[in-house]
Amino acid sequence: MNVPDDLRYSSDHEWARADGSRVRIGITDYAQDALGDIVFVDLPALGSDCAVGGTIGEVESTKSVSEVFAPVGGTVAAVNGALTDAPELMNEDPYGQGWLCEIEVAEDGALDALLDAAAYRQLTES
Amino acid sequence: MEGAATGGDGHAPSAGGTPNRRSALHDRHVALGAKLVPFGGWEMPLSYKEGTISEHRACRSAAVAFDVSHLGTVQVTGPDAFDLLQRTLTNDLSKVAPGRAQYTHLLAEDGSVTDDIIVWWVDERRFDVMPNASNTSSVLAAIGGTDTTADRAVIAVQGPDARIHLRSVSAQAAAVGRFHVTKFDWRGVSCVAAGTGYTGEDGVECAVPSAIASDFWDAVLAAGVAPAGLGARDTLRLEAGFPLHGHELGPGITPLQAGLGWVVGWDKGDFVGRAALERERESGPLRRLRGLRAEGRQPPREGSAVERGDRQVGTVTSGNFSPMLETGIALALVDTAAVVSDGESVTVTVRGRGLGAVVAPTRAWPPSDAKAGAA
Repeated sequence: MNVPDDLRYSSDHEWARADGSRVRIGITDYAQDALGDIVFVDLPALGSDCAVGGTIGEVESTKSVSEVFAPVGGTVAAVNGALTDAPELMNEDPYGQGWLCEIEVAEDGALDALLDAAAYRQLTES
Repeated sequence: MEGAATGGDGHAPSAGGTPNRRSALHDRHVALGAKLVPFGGWEMPLSYKEGTISEHRACRSAAVAFDVSHLGTVQVTGPDAFDLLQRTLTNDLSKVAPGRAQYTHLLAEDGSVTDDIIVWWVDERRFDVMPNASNTSSVLAAIGGTDTTADRAVIAVQGPDARIHLRSVSAQAAAVGRFHVTKFDWRGVSCVAAGTGYTGEDGVECAVPSAIASDFWDAVLAAGVAPAGLGARDTLRLEAGFPLHGHELGPGITPLQAGLGWVVGWDKGDFVGRAALERERESGPLRRLRGLRAEGRQPPREGSAVERGDRQVGTVTSGNFSPMLETGIALALVDTAAVVSDGESVTVTVRGRGLGAVVAPTRAWPPSDAKAGAA
């Protein structure tokens, strides 16, 4: 499983990457592999508020549907519209073109509570 | 993320902690990197490395091989076998002959489908009755016979190129006609092939003794056939409009409701469930299986209400994404009293949200060019 060192992770298998006050999020390689072929993504509404751990989207594969939980709280500032017609990007490039959305966080240190790559790797291997 | 399986597709461990059975090909699946899941009391491949959608499309455009060893084989032999099956199962065996296969149902007295079955009439006095995995014991109880499931593997080679590739493994197996059955020898071992399948494509299903199963599987793959899992088998059968027991067939659902009246041999004598079916034929079934095409990619899912206006007219029995149409598709039992026509718009409520869909023939692939007509 690919677990990039420069990202932070939730125990629910979301990843987060901060760029100033914006945090881009998506689902991990482990999550996409467990889901199988993703056929539909329900994106959050632009401008909607989300709390840490709140549902921020839905990812559906040929075999199951999963909720995506916000790893950080804030306001949805961007969504990856490419997933509407090409949800398979989540399978093919989960940390790149398969990102889900960006959240504008209110305060610094939003990522501090999340796992680092080593800790997440340990979680998925246990 | 937190997930939920989207259908009662048998992906649950067997009850009572009984370990799941494994096919003779289990080691091959592991070596191929298959995702293995519990299914009907067996541990079977859901998909291989390419994934369900690629496997699905490979079956529509080329050829794939499924391990379907989890299907049961109940062998019924002897001079009374024909009469026993005639009075137990719905279809009329006198319409076919030795060397032919027939799709049929085992009913309960109330007309409910206890199981849907393929019968391979292997020779004059031998019938290989093939129930669904989880129904093998109820079929065995109804018809007797010998459960030979553990003695063999069943490999389904399916797709437009299936026979071309299979020819290099066994010309005899590859030559079996559609819904015909033939014995063939492979490396000196007696096997059975039938021109049957569950994908909507041409293909051959081969029952081979467990001892040579892995070698046969290897030979099929070496001939250029890609492995495919039960995930693709399910999306393929859904696109083709084929029922799956536990979804479109089961307790409370009759063959007439499922649109399978042709499975009933009305011209033969009595069989289990006949009286109930005759009453239903007289009054007309209260609901009927229909197809749905979603407006977008999101699949309607099993259990979702089908609504026209603000009134529920039916319930989804199976739904998924169609890899060929690239939209959601479904099968649904729709009330006949509502008189819903093909082409009509309905709303499917999926997890609290309304999803637009159009009522259509049960078969989604290949698409029919016919314009929408009456139900």
